[in-house]
Amino acid sequence: MVEALSNPLNLVVVALGVGFLLPLIDRSSPALARSLFNLALVYQAALPILWLFWLANGAPTQEIQTAGISPPFSINLRFGMEEAFFVAGVNLAALLGGWYLTDLLRGRAAAMSVFLILTMGVDGMIMTRDLFNLFIFIEITAIATFGLLSLERNAAALTAGFKYIIATSLASSFLLLGVMLLYYLTGTLNIDDMQAQLVLVHGPLGLVAMTLLVAGMIVELKPYPANGWGLDVYENAPPGVAAMVSVGVSAGALFALYKILPLVLPFLSALAAVAGVTFLASNFIGLKQKKVRRLLGYSSIGQMSLAAAALVLLTQLDRGAAIPLVVGGLFLNHLFAKAGLFWLAGALKQSDTQDWRGLRANPRLLALFGVLLAALVGLPPFPGFWAKWELVMQLSAGGLNLWVAVILLGSLLEAVYLFRWFGQAMQASKHEPTLSGRAHQLPVMVAVLGLFAAGHFAAASFGVDALRVLAPLYIGIALMLLHSVPARVQGLVSLVIVGTYSYQVLPAQDGINALFGAMLLGGGLLMLVAGLYRGDQRLGHYPLMTMLLLSFGGLLQAGTSLEFFVAWEFLTISSYLLLCRGRDAAPHTLSYLIFSLASAFLVLAGFGLAYAETGSIALAALERVEGNAALVLSLLGLGFLVKAGAFGLHVWLPGAYAEADDDFSAMLAAVFGKAAVFGLFIAIMSLGVKGGGTDIVMYVLGWIGLLTAFFGALMAVFQEDLKKTLAYSSMGQVGYMVTALATGTHLGWVAAGYLSVNHLLFKGLLFLVAAGIVLRVGQREMYRMGGLISNMPVSFFGMMIGIIALSGVPPLTGFGGKWLMLNALLEKGWYWQAGFAFFASALAFLYLFRMIHTVFLGQRKLAHKDLREAPLALIVPQLVLVAVILAFSVQPTWLVNPVAAIMADYLPQTLEVHGSLIKSGLGYWDGFMVINVVGAVFMVSLLILLLLSRFMRVQRVKQFNIVFAAERPERPETTHYAYDFYSFYERALGFLVLPRATAFWNGVSEWSHSLGSGLRVFYTGNGQTYALYILLYVALLYFAVGDSV
Amino acid sequence: MTELPLSTITLSTGFGLMLIGMWGMLVRKNIIRMIVGFSLIDTGIHMIMVSLGYIRGGTAPIIDGSVDRATALTRVVDPIPSALVLTAIVIGLGITAVMLAYAVQIHTHKETLSIEDCSDSKW
Repeated sequence: MVEALSNPLNLVVVALGVGFLLPLIDRSSPALARSLFNLALVYQAALPILWLFWLANGAPTQEIQTAGISPPFSINLRFGMEEAFFVAGVNLAALLGGWYLTDLLRGRAAAMSVFLILTMGVDGMIMTRDLFNLFIFIEITAIATFGLLSLERNAAALTAGFKYIIATSLASSFLLLGVMLLYYLTGTLNIDDMQAQLVLVHGPLGLVAMTLLVAGMIVELKPYPANGWGLDVYENAPPGVAAMVSVGVSAGALFALYKILPLVLPFLSALAAVAGVTFLASNFIGLKQKKVRRLLGYSSIGQMSLAAAALVLLTQLDRGAAIPLVVGGLFLNHLFAKAGLFWLAGALKQSDTQDWRGLRANPRLLALFGVLLAALVGLPPFPGFWAKWELVMQLSAGGLNLWVAVILLGSLLEAVYLFRWFGQAMQASKHEPTLSGRAHQLPVMVAVLGLFAAGHFAAASFGVDALRVLAPLYIGIALMLLHSVPARVQGLVSLVIVGTYSYQVLPAQDGINALFGAMLLGGGLLMLVAGLYRGDQRLGHYPLMTMLLLSFGGLLQAGTSLEFFVAWEFLTISSYLLLCRGRDAAPHTLSYLIFSLASAFLVLAGFGLAYAETGSIALAALERVEGNAALVLSLLGLGFLVKAGAFGLHVWLPGAYAEADDDFSAMLAAVFGKAAVFGLFIAIMSLGVKGGGTDIVMYVLGWIGLLTAFFGALMAVFQEDLKKTLAYSSMGQVGYMVTALATGTHLGWVAAGYLSVNHLLFKGLLFLVAAGIVLRVGQREMYRMGGLISNMPVSFFGMMIGIIALSGVPPLTGFGGKWLMLNALLEKGWYWQAGFAFFASALAFLYLFRMIHTVFLGQRKLAHKDLREAPLALIVPQLVLVAVILAFSVQPTWLVNPVAAIMADYLPQTLEVHGSLIKSGLGYWDGFMVINVVGAVFMVSLLILLLLSRFMRVQRVKQFNIVFAAERPERPETTHYAYDFYSFYERALGFLVLPRATAFWNGVSEWSHSLGSGLRVFYTGNGQTYALYILLYVALLYFAVGDSV
Repeated sequence: MTELPLSTITLSTGFGLMLIGMWGMLVRKNIIRMIVGFSLIDTGIHMIMVSLGYIRGGTAPIIDGSVDRATALTRVVDPIPSALVLTAIVIGLGITAVMLAYAVQIHTHKETLSIEDCSDSKW
């Protein structure tokens, strides 16, 4: 009984049987028909899943024979691990899809039976080992699809369906002819048998046979530009049916391609090229698309061609072992994510992406939407992430670097249009998107759960300790359950979790990890405390913060580049979502995400190249890279520079740092920025001092750092917005760290470490002060403030300490940083660079002076009379930072000694420390003495000034009294002395800070969009044109490959 | 002059029909004519299929007194293409039927049968 029930052939038998019974039963009892339909779907889904389990536990691959005769004289089907996996996926999607289609199928028994037969057809495509039988199943699937497409009876859907029929029946005609010719040549229809007889397939006829077979299969996968008919169907079919076409039918076609690949080896390169072109073209065209379902169509075609490309390339490289993980992972990812999105698109009636505005009013749907998109883009922990990682590693190892570039570029483009859509959903709107019934949402939820489960499973199959590596995400999700608890309680829970985690992780770190661990986790905890100043419920704030901080820990604990990359992507996800929380952040979130992903992809490409050379993904193996060292260093360096906001790549930075929630700005600029520096440290320490090509890279890096420092500071000078000033300032400061690192000397690295710590301290301090000011004043333009010293004395003190520490004058910590850096540059012989650095750092005085002068000094606005000091939760972390700055100022050796010791593990020690005296090769510095001398000088002048002020007459002026009579200002602020404060410098140097980088990147965006609209001119909407493309495709394939055979 | 073998005639007729059908599908604007074109392609392929299995002067694939096992391979007509063509005909019929059904529906909704008026969605 069990044996009879569990026979995989039942997948065909039951579907056919029930399918033909349904219309009959429906006449007497529609309810019975419905239940039978559901039962059949459940059975179809459960059977392959059970088999997966059995096969995994050692059951042999099932060879199913028909007609009581063994193949090749009869049709045989195979049901092994691969088949079971695909069938399980497709049938699960069918089960959920059937559930989703409840309304549409109600009372339509014929449609139900067609739906069952469609599923069966796809199962058959996957299982059969007979070419003619494959043709039959393709046709069954096609006819069933045609039937389902006609469920939507409007002109657009019907014409789309007709075009689909024309295209697919033309394709299957070719397939049939190809199959018959192959039979003529080999005398068999059995795939395995034919493979054994492959020598017989040769000559012109053999080529024609193979061309026709390949063409028939390839058209099923919708190659660009012969895929307009597919797109029309995705756009117009009922979403539940479109999901089944995108997920089920495409999966069947993909698996069929997998089966016939051994028969058409001469076509592998052509197939890969077609898939690659399709992947890139669909994603370029997707940029231009505004209709939700057609957008999903482009994405579907892109994803399936990526899977096809992966399949072909891995076959070509003879790396079949990676196929299950890569192709299986991409398939499963596409299955759940795309089906989920189609269902969601159906549940929300809006057809245009911009009508999804206001979805944020429904956080649960928004979360589901976000997860599906993240999975499609290939973010961890979803299966697509692991598949893409493995694919990039394998392709790199196979030397296919161009392919890696194509795949990463295409993925980035896909991320652009998908997350632009998400950004639209995040926008507030008066009109919430209308929702249909609950039945439409539940399958989406199941799909999301499936993605998580599959992701976890995929992670485990990499031998990764999935629970540890994915912990930041899981803990974040668990914390979401507390969303109704008061915000500060959530904050405390986060603090406890991160605190405990840090307590356990930090002591185990050594070397550079210990230094950055203390910065990232220590600084992060402090910012978490600062966040307590807001008592309002910020949905998702603390869960995401916790995820962010735990991901810092993931970076530290990473032993392999894979673990590092997972943590890096988690940082991207959590910071992107936190940024989305910012009130006016919407215009900046997309660029933030895109640049972050680009950074991640560059890093991934670098890791791939390293893997290609060393064959290991251990981070420690980076050091063993020799031949590709310069290239790997460039890729990793560039990746981390994007994230650090280096000059030219910084366009995302000011918006993100300025428009984030105020406490998160502090986290981003002061703490998160250090993660990029950490990455640079790892890359440079492993690869930067190998000589040869890397020297050039390091030299360039040095100048990039300096330009970043110079332009960051210069742009900060011309800002009106307090937070923007600080944002540009952060950009500039990171530049010094990059330059110091690029020296590749012990002293330089000590300087970089020192600068990092110092920047964390003072930039955290300054952003927290800014948070307090913005909270109280409610504005960010500096000229609108003034005289706040009397209201917010502690904040004033904090800012003063912060700007002195930043400026690099004695006696505070900044001086040490500059001293070490200039020493390092001079010691290296980089005299021009040293001069430039000195000049750039002088610029900082301008904006620093303005910040304290315009905000805290001068006259107070009348409206600000009753402002109070910033809340305690902001003040306490500020005081902690001030205390640390002062401590390191009094005794710089407390900081220099450990940093110098850490760097001495990598390069010979160059600093001598005697008591409080630090000696480099060029000079010495006694911080303790300096602070005493400077302190004394300060006190003396303070006393003199205090005395003098008793005898001086102070004349008070009003702020807006600099307008001459009869002058009519266009805007009131133009008459304010503190507005356009440095206009004279701007006249002299302003040409340097024209937004050229922004213009450049806007240009890139515009060109990509133009390319997209150029590529889509082929889609005329005319069914005959589409048929012509298919014919041309066959001809092209024949001539392209015929030449090489 | 040797007689032209039957299989060559059916083969060339089949390819001819395929080409005519393709011409019809690509050039005729009327949906019904396009469907006729598809039907011709289909029929052409069926004829090609049958002719592929034919052996000149061969006999029916029944092993009895007139055909012995040893020489069967060279003397009998391959029965498989003939069997397959039956299936292919059924499938072709099904697809043609669906196409015609669509044509009817399109005519009901759009009052036209011109493929050029069926560009409802593009790009």
